[in-house]
Amino acid sequence: MVVLAAAGVRKSFGNLVALDGVDLVVEAGTVHALLGPNGAGKSTLLRILLGLVTPDAGTVDLHGTVGGFVEAPGAYPYLTGRQNLELMAGLDDRPGEVSEVLRQVDLLDRADSKVAGWSLGMRQRLGIAAGLLRRPDLLVLDEPANGLDPLGVLALRDLISELATGGLAVLLCSHDLAEVDALADQVTFLVRGRVGWSGTATDLRARPGRCLLTTSDDARAATVLGRGLELTGTTEEIDAQVLALAAHGIAVRSLVRESLPLEQAFVELAQ
Amino acid sequence: MKVLRWELFKLRAQLRVRAALTVCLLAPPLLALVLSSQPGLPKDTLFGRHLHESGFALPLLVLGFAGTWVLPLMTSLVAGDIFACEDALGTWPAMLTRSRTRSEVFTGKAVASVLVAVALLVVTALSSLVAGLVLAGDRPLTSLSGDALDPGHALLLVLLSWLSEVPPLLGFTAVAWLMSVRSRNPLVGVGGPAVLGAVLQLLSLVGALGSATNALLTTPFNAWHGIVRHDPYLGPLWQGLLVSLVWAVPCAVVARRTFLKRDIT
Repeated sequence: MVVLAAAGVRKSFGNLVALDGVDLVVEAGTVHALLGPNGAGKSTLLRILLGLVTPDAGTVDLHGTVGGFVEAPGAYPYLTGRQNLELMAGLDDRPGEVSEVLRQVDLLDRADSKVAGWSLGMRQRLGIAAGLLRRPDLLVLDEPANGLDPLGVLALRDLISELATGGLAVLLCSHDLAEVDALADQVTFLVRGRVGWSGTATDLRARPGRCLLTTSDDARAATVLGRGLELTGTTEEIDAQVLALAAHGIAVRSLVRESLPLEQAFVELAQ
Repeated sequence: MKVLRWELFKLRAQLRVRAALTVCLLAPPLLALVLSSQPGLPKDTLFGRHLHESGFALPLLVLGFAGTWVLPLMTSLVAGDIFACEDALGTWPAMLTRSRTRSEVFTGKAVASVLVAVALLVVTALSSLVAGLVLAGDRPLTSLSGDALDPGHALLLVLLSWLSEVPPLLGFTAVAWLMSVRSRNPLVGVGGPAVLGAVLQLLSLVGALGSATNALLTTPFNAWHGIVRHDPYLGPLWQGLLVSLVWAVPCAVVARRTFLKRDIT
């Protein structure tokens, strides 16, 4: 079921075109990663989806409620974590349980201390809790792992997976490509305000990758391959090149994928 | 009402607001204490020479000073920060993605800031009245027309005088909303109206503007001078009300419009 369908979204700030005809569809029960270099328009798009910025053109059809945060989540430092959430719940018509969302983000034991003394990671988790408190159909998370320690990152990944499995649509904006690779079902790349690529994470992982190899005779291997000690192509194509080297009596000693496909795609599209 | 309730909750939790309330509560008794320990009186200020004669003189002396310098600062402490603080803390996204509309949020914040500003005014008024009565008792007050007002009459006029400060106070509150919304900066929101108040008072004191002085938002703070008389004249009061409206309404309308239309970036 489609939770969010944005079409032809356009937004300018003065002469700067932040978004130029962006389409985005997010389905329930999926994690949709929104990627792109700095200045690609990700935050502007998220702000439009959250109703914080009005687009100049295009449509945003949201089926249900949206919650979450853009950039760093804000909080009132002179209130406790629990009071911050109670305040947000007080502004909603059908809010979730404050204690339940605090438990989900593992903040129950610190909930009654003032946010002024909290770490960045704790504030991030409070932001996620505030988003969940809305009982959203679409949860927007912008760099949610900022400031989290490795255990916190793992717990966050589990939480996001669990939420998506439960039917929630999660729109995840992150520069941590390992996190995206681990979580995303769908990926949309934004480049200079436009959609550079969009598809499933499976499609992305199947993109031709680049591998570096070492052999028993690197000089001859480079001649056989015709382009140095580098293999590119699909898995089947790389298999064929390895077999070709073997047919010439050259043993392959190591074959290392230079980077994750996501990283490659990011670099290619950003350029 | 939900927004109003939570805005009041937030304001109550803020150290700045608590400090302002404490100052409003304690400053008049402290002033009374200092004055009672001094042989001389501040005779060059309105009702200064009557401080030891009647307990109703102190609240009017405090009113004269507050109306000139303090009330714009008092309201800007609350109203100047009430919108801009959300920008400074980055809390707009969390707040504006709830069930309440922007219009409801604006109204809730505006009403909360008015209530707190008026509460500060009321606390100052009552505190100075009580301090005055403790200092000099409820004896008749010599009015600005030179007649002696009996205690009941004096009390009524003191309360009406403080009440007459509400319209210009609301005018400055609206100016503070506008500066808070437009600047998105708490420093500008709080400091702007206070500086404006000081500049307008100085212009008024210098007398450089002639009859245009009547259009300044600080002038209505002095409208009570016509009340504390045996034969009160209300012209300045109505004029002050009109001047306050002329400042408050456009500022409030522009602030609301700006808030409803602005992008939260």
